[in-house]
Formats: sequence, structure tokens, C-alpha cells
Amino acid sequence: MTLLLLLCLLGALLELDTTYAFQLTFSRGIIAGPLLGLVSGDALTGLQVGVFTELLFIDVSPLGGTLPPSAAVCCAITLALCSLQIPAYAAFFVGVVGALVFAQVELAMRRARAGWIAQQEQKIRRNPNYLRHAVVEALSLSFMGNFVFILAVCLAVGLPLAKVMPLVPEKLQLAGKFSYMAVPWIGLATLLSTFRLKTR
Amino acid sequence: MLTKAMQLNLFLRSFLIQTGWNFAKYQNLGLCFTLYPFVKKLYAQDQESIPSVLERYLENFNTQPVMASFCIGALAKQEERLAGAKTLALYQQRLSEWNSMKRSLSITTASIGDRLFWGTLKPFTLLLALCIWLVQDINFFEVTLQENVTFWQVFGGALVAFFVFNAVALFVKWQGLSLSYFAENNGCFGLTKFDWNKTIFNAKKMGIIAAVVLLLWGVYYFVNDLQASLGLGFITRAVMVLFFVSISLMTRNLRIPNMYVYLIAAVMFAVACLF
Repeated sequence: MTLLLLLCLLGALLELDTTYAFQLTFSRGIIAGPLLGLVSGDALTGLQVGVFTELLFIDVSPLGGTLPPSAAVCCAITLALCSLQIPAYAAFFVGVVGALVFAQVELAMRRARAGWIAQQEQKIRRNPNYLRHAVVEALSLSFMGNFVFILAVCLAVGLPLAKVMPLVPEKLQLAGKFSYMAVPWIGLATLLSTFRLKTR
Repeated sequence: MLTKAMQLNLFLRSFLIQTGWNFAKYQNLGLCFTLYPFVKKLYAQDQESIPSVLERYLENFNTQPVMASFCIGALAKQEERLAGAKTLALYQQRLSEWNSMKRSLSITTASIGDRLFWGTLKPFTLLLALCIWLVQDINFFEVTLQENVTFWQVFGGALVAFFVFNAVALFVKWQGLSLSYFAENNGCFGLTKFDWNKTIFNAKKMGIIAAVVLLLWGVYYFVNDLQASLGLGFITRAVMVLFFVSISLMTRNLRIPNMYVYLIAAVMFAVACLF
């Protein structure tokens, strides 16, 4: 359980890099996956999950109002579930669905933040030095939101799934493995077509 | 006004430009936070005007986070001109210029940044990392992964991707601040110092080379496997690869994201295997 909490905390921290702080690509699948894998004691599974996540989400960019699913959240959920002895192919499915749901939660949070921003603006007008507090508060709230979401998914889905997995028929497990192994090929086909020369 | 110390301060603060991102005013809090030390120094003799100046920075602002440095430098320069206006008419004229520049520059930089960083550099560094991992014999195409791999085998590709992406991003971010601040009036705020189209074109060309290397490795891997055994496993894998590559290309034309293809495939396989 300590490892699960640690992975949720690291995942929430890495997720901040996606939008709210730094944007130094720590939250990319190929960086976050191996990092979280190293913490969980299985860096290679972390690498595989990271590569698969990035290949799967490569065709959705944060352009305009589009909010891509978070690779950091997907990797964190997947590896946290792997730490509960759930196989990577099953954990990854939960991770992808979790990242999709997280994108919707994030959209709702961004809409709801308008009221919070208006309050902060008033405080900044009264005291410009309040800006630093507003930034720290925004980062803390985002971090807390990320952590609660990742932990909630891991507890709500991970714990029951860990108990159910040994009872899952072998045929169903084979289907899971088969679709998991299809991920890199789905992603690579998309990746190659992104380099079409359109300019100059 | 833009000393090296101030440039460093703005550069570091610009990493938080997206903090508090919201649908009402986008990056307004981050922009205000980034430019606050500059405004504070500029209006050191007239501190009462600082809240009204910050009010302008708290209005709508949205651009690509790396390219935002061009906006920050240009806004700092325009703010200096605004602070130096001697008459009300001149102040109003410069305020109008400040507003239109803020709007148009944020759109232009967002367009360049999205194409360069999200559309080209990110997939390119991913391909680079994949090539490095495959050359290092890290085969992530199998469910059962090999054991006894070194730290550098696992992190080699990731580190190269991280450093290549950030070398470009941090260079553009740092240069953007000074280029836009010191740009001539007709210099498009320093944006013309780089040939963005050529950079994107060359990066895409390098991406094609990396893609060919990856494909050649794939062919080598399959030919090796073919020599080992032309069994059911090989045929199943070849059919699976061809099937999913075709499906992916088809759904791309239909603008269906990859993640939905994977989720649908997982559910369909599960149903097919059960019944």
C-alpha cells in the first residue's frame, strides 16, 4: 500500500508538468513510465507502459480547446495497479480509461476555476504581492486534485480487480494480451504519417 | 531594463505561465506572475499605479508555453514605451498598440509553437527514443519482457528524447525573451530571426529518416523470426500487425483517435474470446 501511495504521489507531481508547471516533458509517457517503473521496482514494465501510452496518445495534441488524455496519469494508474499484482495488459486498459476520465475531470476543473480566478484577481488588485500566494495555491490545488483522482481510481478499480483477476477465464486474459500487443502497431502507423512534408 | 538578471528572472517565472489555466482568461494568472518583477521595477517610483498595470495583464492571454517568451519580451518592451508616454494621447495610442500586439503575437506564436513543438519535435524525439531502445535490444513488442537489463538500456532512449526536446525548447525560450525585447520596430518582435518553416521542414525530414531506421529494424526483426520458424506464431503476429496498421491508417482518415481504436479492439476481442 505504501508503494501504491508513493506511485500516486509521483504521478500527481508528474502530471503538473503537463500543463501547470515547467512543461519540461517529465509527464511524457516515455519519461514518466520508466521513472514510475523505477520507483515500483520494475523499470522495464514502466518503459513498456510509457512507450505504449505515448504511442497511443500521440495523435491527440493540446491544440485549441483539445485536452489530450494525460500520459502521466495513465502510467501512474497502470503501474500502481501492477504493484497490486494485476498484469500489465489489464492494468493498462484501466489506465487508458482512467486517463480519458481524467481529461473530462480536468475540463470541468478548468471551467470551475473561473470563479476561483475572479477571487484571486480581486486579492491581487488589493495587494500585488498576493500573486505568489495565488500561484502556490493554484499548484497545490491541482496537485491535490491529481492525487485524489489517481488514488480513487486505484482503490475503486484496483483492489476489486486484484481479487477478480485470478478468476478471469484464460480466454479473456488472452484477449487482453492480444489487444495490449496491438497498441505499438496502432501507434506506429499514426506516428509515421505525422512526418508528411507539407511545408516548403 | 532587461538586464541578464531580469531576463533570468522572467525566464524562470515563465515556467509557471500555465499555472491556474482556466477557460475564462486562459493563462492570465501565469502571465501576470511572470511579468510582475519587471512591472514592479519599471514602476518603482510610482507604486500606486502597479495594480492598474497588472489589471491589463490579468486580461485574456493564451499561447504555446515555450513560444510565450516572445510575447513576454515584446510585452515588456511595450510596457516600457507605455510608461514613458508623456501625454495622455500618446499613452492611449501606445495602450492600443500594446493591446493589439498582445492579441496578434499570442496567436502567431501559438501557431508556430504548436506546429514545431507538439506537431514535430515531440513525435521526432519519440521516434529517436524508440530507435535507441530497439538498437539497445529493448524489445517492448512482446508481453514477456527480457530480464537483466541495465539502467542505461532502460533510460537511454528517454534521456536522449528529454535532452533533445528541452535543448531546443529552452534555447527558444531564452532567446525569445531577448530577441523580442531588443527587436527593431519592423522586426516582427524577433520572430523573423528564425526560419520556422525551414526548421519544421528539416525536423520532419529527420523524422522520416528515423522512421525508415525503425522500419528497417522491424523488417530485420521479422526476417530473423522467419528464419527461426515459419510457424503459427509468426503468421498470427504478421496478420495482427498488418490488420492493426491498416485499421489505424483508416481510423486516422476518419479522425478517430488511437485510444478509441485500442479500447474498441480490447472489448471486441474479449467478446469474441468469450463466445
